[in-house]
Amino acid sequence: MDPLEFGSLARIRILLLPVGNIKRSFFEQWAAEVRTFESIRLGDIPADTRDDRARFMPSPLASGHIHLSYPSHPLPSSHQTLSLFRPSDFPLGVIGIASSSSSQNESMSSILAQFNAMLSDLFPPGALFPLANNCLVFEESDGSTNLNLGNYPGLVVIPGMMGNKRLYVGTLIADLCSNILAEFATVVQSLESPLGNEYLNATLFPTLPPVSEMPKPIENEPPVRSSLPPLPSQHSQPELLRVRTPTTLSVKRNSSIGPGPPSSPFRQSSLPAPTKKKPLTIGAVSSHGRLFKVLADFFLLAGRTMDASVWYSEAIILLKSSQDSVWHASALEGLATMQVVDAWSSNQMNGTPEGTEPWTEVIEKVVQAAVLYCRSAPPAEPEANFSFVSWFYTRSILRHASLLLAVWASKGWGPMTFAMLLHGSTATLPPTLSQESESTSNGSKRVSYNSAERLSSITGITRSAISSVVAQAHGPWLLHLGSRERIFILENVAAIYSILGYLRKEAYILREVLGCIMDLVVCGREESGGPMVAGAGLGIQGVDLGDSANRGSVGIRTVENVKGNESILRVVKHICRVHGIDLEAVRLVASETAESGEAVNDGSEEPETVEEAHGWPELQIGIVREAIAVAEALPDYPAVAQFCLSSLKTLHVVMSHGDQHHFYSTAARALSTARRRGDSRRVDYWSGKPIVSIEILPLPLVRLPIEKPISLLSQKQEGINPILVGKTDPFLYNPRRSLAGQSSTLLVQNEPFDVVITLRNPYIFDLELSKLSLSTAGVAIESKPMALVVPANSFHPVTIAAQALEAGTLTIRGCCVQAPGGATREFLLPLSTDDEESRQARRRSAIDCETGRSKHAGLDSRPFSKKRKRSSATATSTAQHTPKFLQCQVVLEQPLLRIRRTSLTHGAVMLYNGEKSTIRITLENVSSLPVDFVRLTFDDSTIAPAQQALAEGDLSVYDTYETEFDLIHKPVFTWESSSGKHAAEPGEKLVVTVDCFGKVGCTHGIIHVSYSYCHRPRPTLDKPPDTFHTRQLSYPVLVTVYQMLECFNLDILPYSPDTAFLSPEEHRAPLLIGDVDDWCIFSVEVRNTYGIPFEVTFERDQPDASAGQTTTLVPPGSTSRILLPIKKFALPDDEIRQPIPTLSDRQFVVSKSGLSAEQEQLQRELFWYREALLGYVRGKWKETGGTRTGELSLRQLRITQPMLNSTRVEQARLHLALWCHEESTDELKPIPTRAGVYQPPLNELVYLRTKVTNLSKTPRTFTVNFVLDPPQHILFEGVLSDIPVGRLASDEAYEFDTPVTFVACGRFELTAFITDPSSVADRDRLGRSLVKAAVQP
Amino acid sequence: MSHHLFLLSPSDTPLYELTHLSSKPSQATPSPLASNLPSWSTSAFAGTLTALSGASSAAQSYHTQGGNVRMGGGKDRHVIQMVANASLDVIEDVMRKENLMYLKSVDKFNEWTVSAFVTPGNMKFVLLHEARNDDGIRSFFLDVWELYVKTMLNPFHTAHTPIRSAVFDARVRASAKKYL
Repeated sequence: MDPLEFGSLARIRILLLPVGNIKRSFFEQWAAEVRTFESIRLGDIPADTRDDRARFMPSPLASGHIHLSYPSHPLPSSHQTLSLFRPSDFPLGVIGIASSSSSQNESMSSILAQFNAMLSDLFPPGALFPLANNCLVFEESDGSTNLNLGNYPGLVVIPGMMGNKRLYVGTLIADLCSNILAEFATVVQSLESPLGNEYLNATLFPTLPPVSEMPKPIENEPPVRSSLPPLPSQHSQPELLRVRTPTTLSVKRNSSIGPGPPSSPFRQSSLPAPTKKKPLTIGAVSSHGRLFKVLADFFLLAGRTMDASVWYSEAIILLKSSQDSVWHASALEGLATMQVVDAWSSNQMNGTPEGTEPWTEVIEKVVQAAVLYCRSAPPAEPEANFSFVSWFYTRSILRHASLLLAVWASKGWGPMTFAMLLHGSTATLPPTLSQESESTSNGSKRVSYNSAERLSSITGITRSAISSVVAQAHGPWLLHLGSRERIFILENVAAIYSILGYLRKEAYILREVLGCIMDLVVCGREESGGPMVAGAGLGIQGVDLGDSANRGSVGIRTVENVKGNESILRVVKHICRVHGIDLEAVRLVASETAESGEAVNDGSEEPETVEEAHGWPELQIGIVREAIAVAEALPDYPAVAQFCLSSLKTLHVVMSHGDQHHFYSTAARALSTARRRGDSRRVDYWSGKPIVSIEILPLPLVRLPIEKPISLLSQKQEGINPILVGKTDPFLYNPRRSLAGQSSTLLVQNEPFDVVITLRNPYIFDLELSKLSLSTAGVAIESKPMALVVPANSFHPVTIAAQALEAGTLTIRGCCVQAPGGATREFLLPLSTDDEESRQARRRSAIDCETGRSKHAGLDSRPFSKKRKRSSATATSTAQHTPKFLQCQVVLEQPLLRIRRTSLTHGAVMLYNGEKSTIRITLENVSSLPVDFVRLTFDDSTIAPAQQALAEGDLSVYDTYETEFDLIHKPVFTWESSSGKHAAEPGEKLVVTVDCFGKVGCTHGIIHVSYSYCHRPRPTLDKPPDTFHTRQLSYPVLVTVYQMLECFNLDILPYSPDTAFLSPEEHRAPLLIGDVDDWCIFSVEVRNTYGIPFEVTFERDQPDASAGQTTTLVPPGSTSRILLPIKKFALPDDEIRQPIPTLSDRQFVVSKSGLSAEQEQLQRELFWYREALLGYVRGKWKETGGTRTGELSLRQLRITQPMLNSTRVEQARLHLALWCHEESTDELKPIPTRAGVYQPPLNELVYLRTKVTNLSKTPRTFTVNFVLDPPQHILFEGVLSDIPVGRLASDEAYEFDTPVTFVACGRFELTAFITDPSSVADRDRLGRSLVKAAVQP
Repeated sequence: MSHHLFLLSPSDTPLYELTHLSSKPSQATPSPLASNLPSWSTSAFAGTLTALSGASSAAQSYHTQGGNVRMGGGKDRHVIQMVANASLDVIEDVMRKENLMYLKSVDKFNEWTVSAFVTPGNMKFVLLHEARNDDGIRSFFLDVWELYVKTMLNPFHTAHTPIRSAVFDARVRASAKKYL
C-alpha cells in the first residue's frame, strides 16, 4: 500500500505493471522514469472533443495540474465497494511496462496478450476501474529494430534508438490521462441517470453494478476482452439498464497479490458482494448530494478545482441536511485537499505565501471530517461498514496529523509544505530534518531537541500537539480494520512518532505492527503448510515472507526466504533498543570458521563496574519475551538464541531465576535446532568476560629446570662456600631484590605443563562451555580444548594441560571460549601493570562519579548511549596502551633422572655424634638425552639456624668463627665431586656416594642432585647461550644423631713429674716424657651419657714431638679424665696478632664489645693458641665390641689465660735445683729426689741452683726473684729479689747458686720467677719454676 | 475507574507503582467506533495487538456495563506500563518548556489520560487516569511529592533506589483515597 499522503484525494493513481519477460532492474529503471511525472499541466493534456466525454476535459489554456501517483500494486478486492465513495484510492489507469529485445524476439501480440491477461487477473470483472490502460514496450538494445510492429491498440513501442524518450513517455502519460478524464464523463453519465442515482444512494458505500449489465458474462468470452480496451465498450447507456445477473461475483481468485490470510474471519466478513441483497429497495428517497460529491471528486482529480469547490459546497449542504455524515465527512476532506492543491498551484505560479496561519481553515475541515466519521454509527450491515468507517476515520486523523507535520517540518506554510502534502508522504523524512539526521552519524535517528524546538517555535505547532492528534488514530477500532489496512495505519502512526522523535511511542506502535505481521505469519502457516502469506509485510520495506517452495507430498525442505525475517527482526531490535535492551549485545557471526577477529580485553567488559539499571525492568522482560516469540515464530533460530543470550547478558541483574533458566534453555534449544537445520550462522560467545585469571602451575620440582650461567661449568672451585654467602646486601629493605626474584616461569620443550584458568559464572544456572582452550603467541603449543560446566554463581578454576613443541618464549594471551552452538571468542587477559591499574581506576571512578547522579535522563541514560558519550571523552588516552601478557620461557628438551635406589632404609640414617657413614644413591637416566653434568648440593637442619644466627650478627667474634667453622668444615653431607663419573647415557645408571657426618642437632637433610645436558650439539654456529639449565632431584634423608660423649673441664697444666706418679699404672706410660720443662699436661674430662661403653682415644700429633696417645674406656654414665702431655709450643708474634678471621665474605662488622687493646690482644692470643692446640690434639671414640668409630669434637672447649701460660713456651726459662756438698769430694751433687720432691738434709747448707736460659730470639736482661715458703724456717744468703742475671744473648744460659739452709723439718716450696726490668708487661711469658723439698730429720 | 501511579527515576526505572481503584464511576463514554469489535484472531500476537490497541479493555467495559472497575493485572498491566512509558516522550518534551512541575493531561492514549509531575531532581510521577480531575490530581501529586522528599531525606536513598517503605505506601494510598 502506498504511504499516506495528504493529497491522495487529488491524485490520479496509475498502476505500473511489469509485463512479460522483463528484468527487474529494467522495470525499476523505467518505472522510476515514469514516476518522475508527478504532475501534468492541464494544458498538456490532449482534449477529447467528443461531446459526451468532454465534461472533465480541461478547458483550453486552463491553468492547473493533474497530480499523478504510481502505485505498483492494486487495491485489494475487499475495497471494491468504495469505488464510488473514494475513487482516488483506486488505480484509474494502468501502464504496463514491457521490454522487447531483438534476441528474445517476443512478438508484440504476445506481450499485449500477457498484459491483458494480467489486467483481467488483477481486477475483478465487475470492477469500475481502471478506466484506461496502456502498455509501453521499451526496446532494450538499440540494435536491429524489430519493426514488425503491426498496429496493436493499447500497445506503444518505444524504440531503443529513440532520443528523448522522456518527452515521449510524458506525452503518452498525458494521453492516458486524457482517456481517464474522458471515462470520468462516462461514469458520471451513468450515475446521473435516475437509476444510477438510486444505486448511488442505495447503501452507505454503493457500487454500480456494471458487470451484470454486460451483454455476456465475462468468463465466456475472455479473448474478446483481452483484445479490446475494456472500458469504453462496457459503459454505454443501454447496458446500464440491463438486468444484472449476480453470478459472476462468486468467482473467487486463487492467486492473489493482495495481502492477508486467505481466510481470516475478518476478510470473509468484509468480502462485499454475496451478502448483498436487493440494494435497490432502499434507494427510494434519493438526494443528489452524493452525486454532487462524486462529481466534485472527479473534478478534483481532473485538476479543475474551481468546479470541484462548487460541487463540494453543493454536496455538503445537501449531505448535511440528509444526515449522511460519512459522505459529508468525505466531502469535507475533499474540500480540504482542494485548498492545498490550490495553494500548491498558486504558489507555483506566483510564489507568494499567504497570510498567517492559513492552514487553520484546512485543519478545521479535516477535524470536522474526523469527528463526523467518529460519530457515524453505521446503520446497516455493520460488519463491513465498521471496517470502512474506521478506515476513513483513522485516515482522516492521519491526514490531519500529516498536515500538521508537514507544516511543522517545513517551517510553515510554504512551497515545501505543499510539495510534501501533495507528493510526499510520512514515510519520507522532511528535508529539514533529514539533513540533520545524516549529520549525526549511525546511531540514533532521533531528532535533536533543539532543531525540533526551532521548528515548533517557527510554526507554533508543538510536537506534543502533533502527537496528541496522532494518538487519536489509535484505539480499539483498529481491530475493525483488515490486517493490511491496520498495518498501514499503524505504520504511518509509527512513522510520524519517529519523525517527531518520540521513540517510545514509536516503539509502542511498532509492537502492534509486529503483532499484526506476526499474526499473519502464524495464521498463514497454520492454514497452509505450503506457501506462506504473500505480502504480509506490506507496510515494512522489503518484507517478503514468500516461500518459494513447491508443495510436495513428502519431505521437500522449504527454503525460507530470510530477507523478510531480517527486516522484521530489525524492527524487533529497534523496539528493544528504545527500551534500553541491546539485542545485538551478542553478535551473530557468519559461520564457524570465521572467528571473531578482535579479541576482547577492553575494560568495558569488566563485570565489576556496577551498571546502573536503565529502563523499566518489567517492560524490558516482557518485550524481550515477545521478541523471542517473534523470532521463534518466523522462525529464525539463530536470532532466537541471539535475543535470549543478549538479554541474559544485559538484563540478568533484573531477571528472575525462572526467566534466566527459561532464556538459557530456549537459547540452547534454538541453537541445536539451528544446527540441525544447517544454519551456518553462529552466535558469538555471549557471557561477558568469563576469564578472571590465568596462571601457569609451576612444574613439579623434579622437572623444573633451573637456569644457571654457563660460567659455572668452567669455574672449578668457587672461593666461598655458598652456604655462607649470606646477606651481602647493605640495605635492609631492597625493593629490587623482590623484583629480581620474579623471573619468568620456565617450561620445558615437549613436556606437559598445566595452566589454571579461573572462570566466572554470574548466572544462576550452570554455564556450559563446549570448548575452552588457551590462546597463546610465540612458540607453538599442543593443547586439547576441553568442555566443561561452570557451576552457577561461582568462580571455577580449570586446569588445562598443554605441551610446548619448541623452545622459545611463550606468551599466554588468554583463552578461547566457545559456548555450545556458538562461535569461538578469544578473551585476552593482560597482566595488570601499574599503568593498566591506574587506567582502570580512573575509568571506574569516572563511572562511579556518574552513578547516583542523573546526568543523563530518559533515553540518554540507556547504557549504550551513555557509553558513547563517555568513550568519546576518553578515547585519546586509551589509544597508546599496549597490553602485557603472561610470559614464560620454554627451554630445550632436558634429560630426566630418577632415583633408582639408595642404600638407606626408609630414607633414614642413624649416627653417633661425630660418626661418619656413606650413602649410595643410584640414579637412572629415564630420558632420551644423555646427562653430562651432575652436581650435588646439600641442605640439613643445622644450616638454617646457624645461618640465621650469623645473619642476626649478635654473636661475638669468637662465636661467629665457631659457627662458621662448623658450617664449612663440618657439614653433615659431603660429596667427593672428583671421584666417579658424572655422565649417564640414556637408560644408564649412575651411582653417587655421599658422606654423612653425625652432628648433634641435625634431624634431617636433603640431598639435591643437579644434572644437565649442557654440552649438547648445537645446530648453528651462533653464539652459545649464556645459560644452561639444570634439573634437580631431591632426596630427603632423615637423620638421627645420638649425643653420647661429652668433653668438658679442659685444663692445661704445667708438667710436674708428680702428675705422672699420681696416675694409675696403666696410664702412666704416655705421661712419661723426657724434659719436664718442655711439656705441659692437656687434661679433659669425658662423660659418657649413653647406654654403652666407649673407648676414647686422644692422640697427640705435634710436629717436633713424638706421637703419643692415651686411651680410656668410658663406661656408661661415668666420667673419665684424660691426661695427655703436650709439648709446649710458641706461635710467632705476627701470627697471634692477627685478628680472628671470618670464614665467610661477610661484611666487616664493627665489634660491639668495648674491649681494650690488651684484652683484645689477649683474646686473639687465646684464639690462635687454641686453634693450634686443637690441631695437635685429636679425640676419637670407638664403640666397644662394635665397629663404629668417630671423632670426638673438642671445639666446644675454651681455654683460659692460665692454660695459655702453661701451653706456651716461655721467653726465658728458669730451672731450679737443689744441690749439696758431697762429703767425700767436696763436689756439689744434686740432692736426690723422690717422686720429684727433694730430700735435703736438715740444717745443712744446700745450694739452690738457678739456671736462666733466654729462649727468645733477642738478647734480654733478666732479674730473678725468689719466694721461699715458709720463709721463717729457711735461712739464705744474699738477697732474694731482683737478683740481676745480666744480659743474656739468645739461647744463652746463666747459672748461679744461692745457699740456703732448712732449719726445720717439713715441706718447703721454693719458687723463683724471672722478671724483665725493661718490659713489665711481658711478665707472664717469662719462666717461673718451683721445687719442693721435704726435710726430714 | 482506576488510576495508575508510577514514580520513575531519571533513568526511566519505576521506583514505585500504585494501582488505585476509585469508587467513582467512569465518565468516559467509549467511541461508537470502539463498539462491536470483531473477535479477531487467536494467535498470541493478535492478543498482544488487541491489548495494546486498548481493545481488550474497551471490550471488557463494553460488555460489563455495570462494573466499571478495571483491574490492572495480567496483560493490561503490561499495556498500562507501556502507555506510561510511552508518555515519557511527551513529558520530556513538555517539561522543558513548561516551568510548572505539574503537567496536567500532558498526553492521551487510548482511553487513558496521562498527567505528570516532574520534581526538580528529574523524578517523574506519572498518573494514568480516565476522568478529568485536575485539582484532585494536583493535590495528590503534591502529597506524593512531599512523601517522596521525606523518603529522599534518608541518606542511603539515591535517585535510583526503589521505594519499598510501607509507610510511604500507606500514605500514598491514603492520599489517593482522599483525592482521586
